[in-house]
Amino acid sequence: MNRRTLLRAGAASLVALPFVRLGERTARAHASGAAKRLIIFYHPDGVPGPSSNGEPSAWHPTGNDTQFTLPPVLAALQPYKDRCVFFRGLSMGATDVGSHPGGAKKLLTGVDGGNGISLDHHLAQTVGASDPFRSLYLGAMANQNGASGDKHVSYIAPGVTASPEDDPVAAFGRVFGNTGTTGGGGGGTTDPRAMRRLSVLDRAKSDLDALRGSLGGRERAKLDTHLEAVREVEQRIQGLGGGGGSSGASCTAPSIDATGITGSTLYAPERFPQILRAQIDVMVQAMACGATRVGVIQASVHTSELIMSRFVSTPMYDPSFDMRSHQASHYGASHDTSHREYSAFVQQAAWWTEQLAYLLGQLAARPEDGGTMLDHSIVLACTEVCDGNTHGHDDMPFIVAGGGSGRIRSGRLLQLGYRRHSDLLLSLAQAMGSSISAFGDASSGGVPGLLV
Amino acid sequence: MRVLAIVGILLGCGNDSAPDAPYDYANSPGAARYQAMCEVCHGETGEGGLGPALRDTKASKASLRATIAETMPANNPGQCDGECADELADFIRQGLTTQALRCDAVPPGPRRLRLLARREYRAAVRAVFGDTAPAMTCSRPADCAFRDACDAGTCAPAECDAQTFVFDPQGRTLATVHVAGSFNGWAGTLAAGCLALTYSTATGQWSGTFAIGEGMHQYKLVLDERDWVADPRAPASVPDGFGGRNAAVTLACDATSNAVAELPADSRPAGFPFDTDADSALVTAAHVDAYLATAEQIADDAAARKLSLHPCNWDGQSASCGRAFVERFGRRLFRRPLTTDEAARYGELAVADLATAVQALLVSPNFLYRSELGTKSGDRYRLTGYEIATALAFGFLGSTPDDVLLDAAAAGELDSAAGIERWARRLLADPRAREQVGELVLQWVGGQNVAGIDKRSDLFPTFDDVTRLALANETRKFAAHAVFEGEGTLRELLTASYTVLDATAARFYGVQEGPGGVTPYTDGRRAGLLGHASVLATTAHSDQTSPIRRGLLIRRNLLCEELPPPPPFAGGVPDVDANATTRERFAQHTSNAVCAGCHAYIDKLGFGLESFDAVGRWRDRENGAPIDASGDLNDVEGLGTRTSAPFATLPELASTIADSRAATSCFTRQYLRFARGLRETLAQRCERLSLERTFEAADGDIRELAIQAVLSPSFLERR
Repeated sequence: MNRRTLLRAGAASLVALPFVRLGERTARAHASGAAKRLIIFYHPDGVPGPSSNGEPSAWHPTGNDTQFTLPPVLAALQPYKDRCVFFRGLSMGATDVGSHPGGAKKLLTGVDGGNGISLDHHLAQTVGASDPFRSLYLGAMANQNGASGDKHVSYIAPGVTASPEDDPVAAFGRVFGNTGTTGGGGGGTTDPRAMRRLSVLDRAKSDLDALRGSLGGRERAKLDTHLEAVREVEQRIQGLGGGGGSSGASCTAPSIDATGITGSTLYAPERFPQILRAQIDVMVQAMACGATRVGVIQASVHTSELIMSRFVSTPMYDPSFDMRSHQASHYGASHDTSHREYSAFVQQAAWWTEQLAYLLGQLAARPEDGGTMLDHSIVLACTEVCDGNTHGHDDMPFIVAGGGSGRIRSGRLLQLGYRRHSDLLLSLAQAMGSSISAFGDASSGGVPGLLV
Repeated sequence: MRVLAIVGILLGCGNDSAPDAPYDYANSPGAARYQAMCEVCHGETGEGGLGPALRDTKASKASLRATIAETMPANNPGQCDGECADELADFIRQGLTTQALRCDAVPPGPRRLRLLARREYRAAVRAVFGDTAPAMTCSRPADCAFRDACDAGTCAPAECDAQTFVFDPQGRTLATVHVAGSFNGWAGTLAAGCLALTYSTATGQWSGTFAIGEGMHQYKLVLDERDWVADPRAPASVPDGFGGRNAAVTLACDATSNAVAELPADSRPAGFPFDTDADSALVTAAHVDAYLATAEQIADDAAARKLSLHPCNWDGQSASCGRAFVERFGRRLFRRPLTTDEAARYGELAVADLATAVQALLVSPNFLYRSELGTKSGDRYRLTGYEIATALAFGFLGSTPDDVLLDAAAAGELDSAAGIERWARRLLADPRAREQVGELVLQWVGGQNVAGIDKRSDLFPTFDDVTRLALANETRKFAAHAVFEGEGTLRELLTASYTVLDATAARFYGVQEGPGGVTPYTDGRRAGLLGHASVLATTAHSDQTSPIRRGLLIRRNLLCEELPPPPPFAGGVPDVDANATTRERFAQHTSNAVCAGCHAYIDKLGFGLESFDAVGRWRDRENGAPIDASGDLNDVEGLGTRTSAPFATLPELASTIADSRAATSCFTRQYLRFARGLRETLAQRCERLSLERTFEAADGDIRELAIQAVLSPSFLERR
């Protein structure tokens, strides 16, 4: 497949992005006072937290409320310090077997064993239900080596994860139509291909209904999920004929740098930084164009084999030695900077912070409703354990960034004492306009002081 | 009062262990919790292992509940109290009793819809639209199948599996230019069968077009039967193992393969090696987008070839031809005849636009899911003949049933056990059964990941993409050979003193491949599957071996012995140390008592494969020190059984595994997972035990296991 270095959407014009108009309509329809979008940014294997020898966390900020200091590992967030919320005392509670898989299962579901749906899926079913894409789940090397489901953080049904799209070129094509999957012709519902797809989906719905009628329990639920997926695509195609206008955020000529990204380089560690940035670009532009308001970017997977020492032009680069994420995370009993694993792990944590800063920068660079996209967005940065070596699930290193259309009281370090992370998931759902009052198995009203 | 007391006792007994009502493992919440949290140490049926036995416990519910809530799981207590501890205590007292665990009858399986895995989708589409009848007439290329062209009115192989080679001698005068490569056994001379290019005085270039087949190929150009040079025009090149480079080319014929590559990755649960799990395969919007786009390509192609796919008077009677087309191909795609209503609705679409109708058939849940719903018969459901045909075809061939098998279902041939067995044996003789066995074995040991696993190219320059593909194919071809040309036994898979190599794989191992690729092991270093680089490389890191992963693969995939995850505070992989061997670096796992609890079962086993480097090549020394490859497959029949089975070589290890009941039992379990797409619970245990006995009685013949698995009541009956 020939891939141009710079991948551009269809005819590089708004006409090729007809769902933008749909996004605009739904954007207007969305609950006033709610955040416009949520991006969940996951990275693997924890951070240099409190060591087993009792040294304090090298990752958590120190201070209280608006008076706090970022440690060196979070330096890349300095420009966005007043746009972020940090936490002390946010706990995931106990998890089922295995601290990495157990943490990953509970991370976005708030339920042991992943026995519930994740926050992104809840929002997709509620506040995002009328968007062209109810949610997007993008990965960077997240299906590597046939990763099993417990490596993925988005739960579409209790105990069942989706597989993320690992190829930014395919993801871009799906959203912006360069592969034709969203029309791309600009003819709206009079476009013969769109009409044909609608009649195909219509048949699929009838067949699903017929099949569903005879079933109960798990199999019926399976077909319900399928039916919702068909409706989402159908609704998106129907929206192709909508009226003009532009989204609140700037959506012009979406493109990503696809240099050298091919099927055979998707899992080459030296390509990872570029692939992750391309996925961030796809997500931000999809949201700027009103394609979706809920997204998950999963960078690698827990107990990660990602060889971060292959990232050229970074302090981690070492062509003579393969330092994997999970290898570095088990740095030993103490924060010993002379120890190769520990110094690598600190560098890795700083690198993940830089990627988060890049995401925030992309949002901050796009004007929206008198401010920027960052003002109207919520970004949740998270990982499945706290300290990578001790594997605990207390004092989780989560960051909430962005103004959430005024819903987030940002620029704070919240000293929570002990608060379950179900409350954070609940607060974010509420900030997005969901009317639920509980989420996961341990929420009690939300994180105090987080929302306006 | 006395009467009341007796009633009370009877009620109490009735709740706990009524002899006539079997324990309902399938619907017990405690059974699910036990499987998730406890089984790994206490054993599947409470027989004990790393933890104490729980079978037929005399403990009271209250004391069990307290122990669970306060001390379990042992490596991370405090995860199960309240309702969780209650349900577990009930299950242990009622479900883990000798009485409840009796196997009087094999219970039926669950009614299910099984989403096609990517592999199955691809095979089904190719079977229906790709493998059309030979010698079809045509008037233009579009009338022919994917890989065919229209040549003088007949479909013939097209150029998609052919490659045009061009060489510019740049003024040099040459007598001959040949192509030698992996596709013709690297024949270097005309006499040996090389492919000769011809010289054109008009262009001043040598050229030739040859059908070399689909797949990845390497080649060199041979000038005057003497100079071997890399083709400067080739799109890619790989190291040739002699300090130079081979040209590399990949040919893919059908649009289907490429289109199907865009389907979302298959989902599988942790610890389930196969791509067939029915419960984790859910359709998302990303699937629907991909199904639509893929079906569009396939449908457009099929509609363009409607005349050859379905000879009919398309010009004169296009409406009736269209209706007949969807009835015929609808039956293939839905794996049953269309209902009257379906025939009418899809027929209507076809009359308007045939491609739309075909696309709709391909996006219908009736195509995307294999139905195992059955029809009601008493308090159970029984699979229909068409559902049985479907299960047989996907189980034995990894593909959709053909017209002959569907006709047999229609004729009632699958309504009896004898008929099912006859057809099962017939399908096993089909060439595609070889591919399916290859897939089963490759996925069982995770060998497919050899294609993508990262290796340092500076340390392992010959482990290139072409070689990786050849190594995965080694495992596939070996499995097919062992099962169909060999004894067909699990023992042969594990202990065979040969493998099956193509030229690329042979060069990687540094051996000469034997006739038909069958290459004997003559040095006593390797035996069976575990000697394959696909397995040894996949269970190693990018720059070093991993005794842990190799040990775990044998425990988990071959013996079905699970180990609890490492506790918090577990260390990572020790640093690479130029002055120490891997074995020395990992020594702390077994010297530290906390680690040793589990690693005593992993490391000693994995150390025994230290003679194979991180890509599976033989090595005598590591960092200058001689390799110590002594190992021990301790407790082979179950953790905690306290046996020792020391070994010095891989063939010895392979024999110990092959001799064990654990391996027979585990393979039965893995086969059922692969074929049934089911994460087994205690509800399926009785069936597994029954098949295990059959498998043993057949001396471990895998073909018999596959046959007996479709004769079992749980294959046909659903609840």
